[in-house]
Amino acid sequence: MRKLLEIALGVLTAIGGFVDIGDLVASTETGARFGLGLAWVLVVGVLGIILYAEMAGRVASVSGRAVFDLVRERLGAGVGLLNLAASFFITLLTLAAEIGGVALSLQLATSVNYLLFVPIVGFLVWLVCWRVRFEVMDNAVGLLGLALVVVAVAVWRAHPDWGAMWHSATHPVVPGTESHTAYWYFAIALLGSAMTPYEVFFFSSGAVEQRWTRSDLVVNRLNVYIGFPLGGLLALALMVAAALVLEPRGIDPSHLSQAALPTSLVLGKLGLALALLGFFACTSGAALETALSCGYSVAQYLGWPWGKFLKPVQAPRFQLVVLASITLGAGLLLTTLDPVKLTEYAIVLSAAALPLTYLPLLIVANDPAYLGDKVNSRLSNAIASAYLAVLVVASVATIPLMIVSKAGGG
Amino acid sequence: MARRLDAALELLDRQLIGNGGTLAGKVDDLELTDPGGNLEPPRVTAILTGPAVLAGRLHTPVGRWLARVAARLLAPGQDQLSRVPFDQVEAVGASIRLRVAAGQLDAGAGEARVGRLVGRIPGAGDAA
Repeated sequence: MRKLLEIALGVLTAIGGFVDIGDLVASTETGARFGLGLAWVLVVGVLGIILYAEMAGRVASVSGRAVFDLVRERLGAGVGLLNLAASFFITLLTLAAEIGGVALSLQLATSVNYLLFVPIVGFLVWLVCWRVRFEVMDNAVGLLGLALVVVAVAVWRAHPDWGAMWHSATHPVVPGTESHTAYWYFAIALLGSAMTPYEVFFFSSGAVEQRWTRSDLVVNRLNVYIGFPLGGLLALALMVAAALVLEPRGIDPSHLSQAALPTSLVLGKLGLALALLGFFACTSGAALETALSCGYSVAQYLGWPWGKFLKPVQAPRFQLVVLASITLGAGLLLTTLDPVKLTEYAIVLSAAALPLTYLPLLIVANDPAYLGDKVNSRLSNAIASAYLAVLVVASVATIPLMIVSKAGGG
Repeated sequence: MARRLDAALELLDRQLIGNGGTLAGKVDDLELTDPGGNLEPPRVTAILTGPAVLAGRLHTPVGRWLARVAARLLAPGQDQLSRVPFDQVEAVGASIRLRVAAGQLDAGAGEARVGRLVGRIPGAGDAA
């Protein structure tokens, strides 16, 4: 019975914790500009994160080692350090974007300028990293994030033409108003938002924090196989809502409020309140995850003690990196850099960096020295290799596309 | 006692664990000694660890610079070098288990110094 509760809780928090500022921005923007023409990318991205998160959780459960710990061992000191520098920079940008998302959600609820909330949000994020138990933190934000289900309810209550939607999702076309380069640029952004590297760092480190063992492999699988697709449905609901409401009106979203607009139009004030609660919860959760991931990756590369299961004095350098990252992230926002723009760059650069995380993970997931009999099956290796090929192509194409499409603006 | 190892594969960049179970850094470099015999392979006589050692092993200027920054900021020990004689190694596996405690390593001095700083923040000594 306890196991069943634990599984249910894990699945629910995986759903509520799936969406972050990257999904909010990317799903809404692509829905508003391309209708459902990029829905297939979301499916590809969600399947990809399922595949690799399961691997990360399995490696952590069986070997007790988190992803970045193994990056150093597999790639060596030099390439590993390059990987660390790139991953840390992107995770830091994402952290700033998530703090910005929390502050913008608070602005939408209170009409007080988001910049005033940035230092407060930064302090609270640090306080939770410093003092709150891992499980409590993980469950609280995950369950609150379920408020986002209201977006799916809004889509359903809008009585859309499901047949036409299915047709436009399965027969994607580039709208006449958009260029092909912008289409592919946003395809990469959407892929980056679904497969962000920090998700893998956090998921595997979290498995170590919660002391998962072989007996938790079932929990790992159920979390990933049930929780992630349902979480992905919430990202899809955001896209559909934008396609139904924003696209026909020619609204090109440049502010987070437009992600909540469809829900408030269909469901009124209560819908808006729940959507804002959902935005607040999912960006807060992701701010915590990215802040901790900054500390995890540096500490694991250098072999330092890390984790929230230790007292802060037992892992002082880990805690110092977390604190410094939050300070830097909040500082970046206080330069009045637009959080939505920051999010766009963070997810696109994430997409470019994906092979750095996924290649070493795939190698270790095949190594019996770490996994014994729990190494990848042939089928998952075949799919994972195909994904890696796609990720490498996306990674190479990212920067040229960014330049040619003027970051999707053209 | 002598054992043949592929030092690059089985030792370098592996996790070090102190005798109390605390993580104690990575194997950043190795000290090899030529036993003098004609065809004898070199012996690993010590494990070297710490960001300063790591900086010495990296080949790119950017890598060296990053490791030096890390050494200065996060492990400000006297010489930031820890030499663990190989007879203090208890077991070589996926991680390297040592017979000495993590705090006894020189690089651990950096952790202790940061620990004193972080320890001043309220709540640092309590479990979350």
